[in-house]
Amino acid sequence: MAGVEWVAPSTEDEALRYFSSDPPSAVVPIAGGTDLLLDLEAGRVGPRRLVSLSRLPWRELEWAPNALRIGSTRPLADIQADPRVRQAVPGLIEAILAVGGPALRHRATLGGNLARAAPASDVIPLLLAVGASVELVGADGHRTVPVDQFVRASRETALRPGELIRRIVLPVPRPSAYRWHRVRPVNDISHVAVGGSFDPGTSEWTVAIGGVPPRPQVERDRTLGARPSDAAIETFARAVAERVPLRGDLRASEGYRRRVVAILVARTIRAVAMADQIGSDRGSAA
Amino acid sequence: MTSGARVSLVVNGRRREVADVPFGERLLDTLRWRLSLKGTKEGCRAGNCGACTVLVDGRPMLSCLLLTHEANGASVTTIEGVEALSVGRAVVRAFEAEGGLQCGYCTPGFVMALVGHLASPGADRSPAAVRAALEGNLCRCTGYASIVRAAQRAAKEVA
Repeated sequence: MAGVEWVAPSTEDEALRYFSSDPPSAVVPIAGGTDLLLDLEAGRVGPRRLVSLSRLPWRELEWAPNALRIGSTRPLADIQADPRVRQAVPGLIEAILAVGGPALRHRATLGGNLARAAPASDVIPLLLAVGASVELVGADGHRTVPVDQFVRASRETALRPGELIRRIVLPVPRPSAYRWHRVRPVNDISHVAVGGSFDPGTSEWTVAIGGVPPRPQVERDRTLGARPSDAAIETFARAVAERVPLRGDLRASEGYRRRVVAILVARTIRAVAMADQIGSDRGSAA
Repeated sequence: MTSGARVSLVVNGRRREVADVPFGERLLDTLRWRLSLKGTKEGCRAGNCGACTVLVDGRPMLSCLLLTHEANGASVTTIEGVEALSVGRAVVRAFEAEGGLQCGYCTPGFVMALVGHLASPGADRSPAAVRAALEGNLCRCTGYASIVRAAQRAAKEVA
C-alpha cells in the first residue's frame, strides 16, 4: 500500500491507456473499493498504480425495450432506490439489500462485484439467474460476455489483461427473487443464497445457488411452468439440493447446507411465482 | 512517480487543503490524524461495523473503505459538524432523550448513518425504513433497543 500511485482518468481512452503501458499486476482498477481495499491493506495485492473509475461517465441506468443497462460504477444504493428497477427485476433489489449496510452500498458497485468475483457476492447469483451479461472494453474494442461465462471461479473472471467492465445488461422484465441464509440477518455473509428468475418468453426457470465452489451453480427447468404446484417445486428444489457440489466449512456443514439449499430454492421459486408479493419481504424472512 | 498529493475537501462547511496525502490513505485516517477530527471512530476497519460512517456529499459512507483522494473535492460531514444541520440536531437530541448510547464508541457512526438517511431527499421515515438505515452499524453495549427508539423519535421530529 505504501507508495502506491492513484490516478482518476475522466475518459475511457485515457483509462485504457493506463492498462496498456504497464504489466497487468502493476495496475489495478478501483471502483467502490469496498472489497479491493481489504486486499490492499492486507498486502494480498500490491499494484504500483490504482486507476480510479470514479470520474468516468460510467454510471448510467438506461432502459432499452427489453434490457436494462447499468453502468459498471453506479453505486448499489442508487440502483436499490430506483422504483423502475424494483418493478422490472425485483430480485436485483433483494440481492443488493443483502450486501453490507447502507453506507457500504453507497460505495459498492455491480462492476466491482463482478470484477472481484468474491465467493460470497450476493449480486452474482442473481445476475446469473436473470441471464445478465457484461459489456467489456479493452484496447481491442468492446465485447459482450454472459455472466455465466464471465465468472469462472472464486476471484477468477474472463477479464483479459487491460479489460474493464463497462456496463451490465439485464433482460427485462424478469420476475425474480433472492433468498439467503446466514447467522445474522445483516452485515454477514450468506452460508447459502439462491437467486431465481422466470423467463416469461421461454417459460424457463433459472436458479443460481451461491456459496458453492468453485462459483454459483446454475440450474434450469422448463417443466415447472408459470404457476408451479407446491409438489413440483419441492421435487425440483430437492433435486437441485442433491446435485449441487456443496462443501462444509467453518460456517456450516455440507449436510446442513444441502437442507438449506432445498428450502431456499423452494422459497425463491414461490416468491417469483407469487409475483404480486415480490419485494414485500426481505431475504430469509420469506 | 509521486506517492501523494494535495487533497481539497469541504469538511463540516470549512474548506480544508491537505498537502501530501498518500494515495493509499483512507478518509478515516485523514480525518482523525491530519485534521484531528477524532469523533469519527475506527472500529473494524473492514466495512463491518459502521463506526467510521461520515457523510460524503450527503451520502453515508464508510470512511475506512474510502481513499481520501476518491473524496477529493467532496463535502464531508463528520460528527463534529452534525449539529450545524437541523436533522443532525434532531438526531442528537433524540439520542440524548432516549439514552441511545452507553460507552458511546459506536454513536458517531449511528448518528451519521441516521442523519444521512433522514436528510436524503424523499427519505422514507417509516419505522421499518428508519430501522433499516441502521443495519450497517454495530453496538456492543445497548442491545439496540434504545438506539432504535432514538432513531424513531428523531424520524418523527424531522417529519
